[in-house]
Amino acid sequence: MTELRDLLDDVVADADAVFLFSPSASDFERFDDVEEPVVVGPENAVDAENFVELPIDFTDLEGRIRFGIEGALEQELVEEDDEVVCVSGFMGGASNSVTRIQTTDFTPSGVYDLFVNSRAEPGVVRDVFEVAVELGKKGQKGKPVGALFVVGDAGKVMNKSRPLSYNPFEKSHVHVGDPIVNVMLKEFSRLDGAFVISDAGKIVSAYRYLEPSAEGVDIPKGLGARHMAGGAITRDTNATAIVLSESDGLVRAFKGGELVLEIDPEEY
Amino acid sequence: MQALSDWPEVIRTLFSPEGTFVISLLVLGLGLVVGVLVWRSSRRFMRELGVPEAVEGTPFERTARGLGTSTVGIVSNLAALFVYILAITIALNIAELVNPEVYWTRFTAFLPNLFIAVFALIIGLIAGDKAKLVVSERLRSVKLPEATVLPELVKYSIFYLATLLALGQLGVRTMALLILLAAYAFGLVFLTGLALKDLLAATAAGLYLLLTEPYSIGDEVVIDDQQGIVQEVDMFVTHVESDGKEFIIPNQQVMRSGVVRVRD
Repeated sequence: MTELRDLLDDVVADADAVFLFSPSASDFERFDDVEEPVVVGPENAVDAENFVELPIDFTDLEGRIRFGIEGALEQELVEEDDEVVCVSGFMGGASNSVTRIQTTDFTPSGVYDLFVNSRAEPGVVRDVFEVAVELGKKGQKGKPVGALFVVGDAGKVMNKSRPLSYNPFEKSHVHVGDPIVNVMLKEFSRLDGAFVISDAGKIVSAYRYLEPSAEGVDIPKGLGARHMAGGAITRDTNATAIVLSESDGLVRAFKGGELVLEIDPEEY
Repeated sequence: MQALSDWPEVIRTLFSPEGTFVISLLVLGLGLVVGVLVWRSSRRFMRELGVPEAVEGTPFERTARGLGTSTVGIVSNLAALFVYILAITIALNIAELVNPEVYWTRFTAFLPNLFIAVFALIIGLIAGDKAKLVVSERLRSVKLPEATVLPELVKYSIFYLATLLALGQLGVRTMALLILLAAYAFGLVFLTGLALKDLLAATAAGLYLLLTEPYSIGDEVVIDDQQGIVQEVDMFVTHVESDGKEFIIPNQQVMRSGVVRVRD
């Protein structure tokens, strides 16, 4: 077993920072007096000083680590070129894997930016995300559906779009966090066009036909008109677009005209 | 009370001295049985009302637990004790073992009041602590040292009210305390009214704006020389944005100065 221990020693040697993913209190205390570890998790249960909040429950380890490191870079808890050791729960366990990563090993995808530095409130982006994932999982009456949500900067988005039909949300006060919304949006998802959601989470309109200029929008080839419209509107405005694809069932997020996040609802 | 203090007299005239004694013993026995029944039913009643869960965690309940009992236990014991004392005094009076003039009228007349006073104190203690817990739970997200004063204030206000009630029951002159309470309540209402004046005005205006939606998100408007696109309307404010500037306009100002909708 000494070889194994040596290997582990090599992995953790000279690390600049330690990342704990959803640690238990005892795990956290073990590190407490050595140096300040960075805690990444859905909530700061251990009252750590350095904390990165996970807005959604990434099932894959890579997504979690990516988000944690991008968040820590953004908050200047670590610097570029730092060697980081991540202690995390793999396959649903708790603190059972150790990973060593250099913060420049991957190009930042902007996933942290998407949630924290969007115009809309982080909670709103997360709620819309959850609605899209839910919709992707269940579909409408078992059939896959597509949907396009434009979150934030609603005033501008409304001016860059036109109604396809009467707006069912006119003079209503429905917010994305409301429990009724899941059911309602599932019913409305058969409507064509985009949902427009304001910074504070109010559903402003459905049935919107987006009319941005699609110049210079760089999204992967092969995605359809819905994705193109979603990507383009985020270039013209400060909004974030969250798109559920009808053909492959993935949920994608666009910001600034670029694809920043792609997840499979089935795994989430 | 007058009718109550008459009927031992009636019993004594109706029965022989021995009979009176037997009846007083019967009253005593009946009192014991009723006391036990009251004790049991009040316990059950409070359990079914969910009193044990409601008082969970309050200092009064903790103290009671420390003494090997519980709030439910204390209250039901008090109720039973009240019945026992009542039965004993009635029995004593029927048997004429004590001077009726001094003892009977004064004490039995006073007993319900005493019971209610104790009861009011207990409820006040528990309600105060419970209110404090609830308020501080609500304020948990507000991490201000000043915010911790508010739960304490609520707690002592309720204690004060309970004490006032109890003293009133016991016949203590509470006029001065009542005036103090009135001054306190007035100050509270007046000061909160003063502090929330703008917010209340904004809410009233916001209600109208939200219900009728004279302008909605995406419209271009001019409010008080501030022109831009409406980004958000909520209870208190309207967000209007133009060229990288976001005006946050209180709703009462919208109502006062009116809105120009730009259509072209």
